[in-house]
Amino acid sequence: MEQRRFKATSLVLYGFTGLWSLMVLIPIAYMIMAAFKTKRSMFIDPIGWPDALNWESFERAWGVGVGGFMINSVLVTFLSVVVIVIFSGMAAYALTRMPGRSGQIIYLLIVAGFAIPVQAVLVPVFQIMSGAGFLNSRLALVLPYAAYGIPFTVILFYAFFLDFPRELEEAARLDGCTRFQTFLRVILPLSGPAIASAAIFQSVFIWNEFILALLILTKPAFKTLPVGILELQGEFTSDWPAVMAGLTLATLPLLLIFVLAQKYFVRSLAGLGK
Amino acid sequence: MSQTSRPRSRSGNLAAEKLTYAAMLTPALLLLAVFVFIPVALVIYGSLFDFGLTSRDWTFVGLGNYVEAFGDDVFWIALRNNLIIVIGSIVLQVGFGTLLAAVLDRGVRLGRTLMRTIIFAPMVISSVAVGLIWLIILDPNVGPLNAVVKGVGLTPPKLGWLGDPSISIWVVLGIAAWQYTGFMMVLILAGLQAVPKDIYQAAALDGATGLRAFWYITLPSIRNILIVAILITTVGGFKVFDLIFVTTGGGPANSTQVLGTYIYLQAFNIGEMGFANAISVVLLLIAVGLGWLQLKTSRKA
Repeated sequence: MEQRRFKATSLVLYGFTGLWSLMVLIPIAYMIMAAFKTKRSMFIDPIGWPDALNWESFERAWGVGVGGFMINSVLVTFLSVVVIVIFSGMAAYALTRMPGRSGQIIYLLIVAGFAIPVQAVLVPVFQIMSGAGFLNSRLALVLPYAAYGIPFTVILFYAFFLDFPRELEEAARLDGCTRFQTFLRVILPLSGPAIASAAIFQSVFIWNEFILALLILTKPAFKTLPVGILELQGEFTSDWPAVMAGLTLATLPLLLIFVLAQKYFVRSLAGLGK
Repeated sequence: MSQTSRPRSRSGNLAAEKLTYAAMLTPALLLLAVFVFIPVALVIYGSLFDFGLTSRDWTFVGLGNYVEAFGDDVFWIALRNNLIIVIGSIVLQVGFGTLLAAVLDRGVRLGRTLMRTIIFAPMVISSVAVGLIWLIILDPNVGPLNAVVKGVGLTPPKLGWLGDPSISIWVVLGIAAWQYTGFMMVLILAGLQAVPKDIYQAAALDGATGLRAFWYITLPSIRNILIVAILITTVGGFKVFDLIFVTTGGGPANSTQVLGTYIYLQAFNIGEMGFANAISVVLLLIAVGLGWLQLKTSRKA
């Protein structure tokens, strides 16, 4: 009797998590499947399998510039993450080592910055970017991305540097290293896990960032993937297979990286709860 | 933060040290000033004026934009929709996230990592892509969902899932849950894994197993993480933009308008920058209030 109840319970538990997994998987699988269908079969039989592996939709989507959007996204994400990690690392280190209360006060100011969403300052940020002549500049887009990534990264590094063993630093100082040299040669090389965690977290957010890219990048040649793939919808009003092919090209690389490195992604993003 | 054990403390050294700290702080603070703090001041200042996207002259209107906003039906619809998304997301994302996390933590063994990976995966897809995928799935003509619904003998909504103003916001809520429940699950799972397992063994001896153990042991031991999860979801619910912009654009007839999309619409489609700023200030106050709450709870934790 106990045995049977145990089996029924685990069936329910497996059923629940299994069904949810399936519910998540089906739309992603459908995206890939529909990319191989023809426009005709999409209309006549939306849930049927594609007749053959038609790669034409991928060619049409590629023709809109998905490759270029991808390069732009890689460029913007990489640069932003580098800037965020370096600037936040320096700031957090200075804040944890400064004598007196000024460090804590500035830290609180940066924490306050974390609470401010870009959606609430859209008009002035646009005015500043357009006033500075930064519209349609991928390099300039890095600046607001960095600004909005810095607060959380400083919070993360601040906690990490506070717990950092002082003995190592003191040893370097006795060897004649300045504060900055100590930071470069001792602190940074030993901060691998914190840097990796911050970099993954910011990469996911910047790779997918939409609203600023929508405002700043209006010329197709400069668009990143999230705004670029919207072009697909405009370009192919009823060509859903091409839209799905473009989405597959845009999302599959990051999904694959995620599956391969999921342990690190999960650890990095779960850090938000701490 | 005492640094008294410094062997060399000549005053020249100290000044150089101070300069180093200032130099290390400057780049981050400069970026924050230009793109976060100055915009906050500008959005408040600009909310007191009437001006367009390219207009050079600003007309001072005092609190006129706020009066206009509070008398505007769409503003209240947007705020109500934000609240629907906040409360709905807490129920769906935090609720199901907690259940999924609890089951993955202790309920199932086989395929645990696989299921965790799958359920979390939508988090790394951009909301734009998620929106477009669902736009096609829910499409009244070519969408597979309608085909399935008709296949089992039911009638799908006549105006379409996203085209019917009475249900569209709920459909958007469902899409958001599809994307973010996995994130909440992972967040909560991290908290659950820190709960020592022998508590459950001790409780089992007292007769607390299964659902009872979940209620009396699991939930109280992750109380703090649940509060953080609820706060993150609440902030996210007020900031929502991408998904709605792509799926419905705030329509039909403003039925899915939220503060974010309404600010964008007023500022960049209609060109009422001052009015958009006034709505922005409302959003800003909500966000800062929630941020303050978050800080208070994390201090306590």
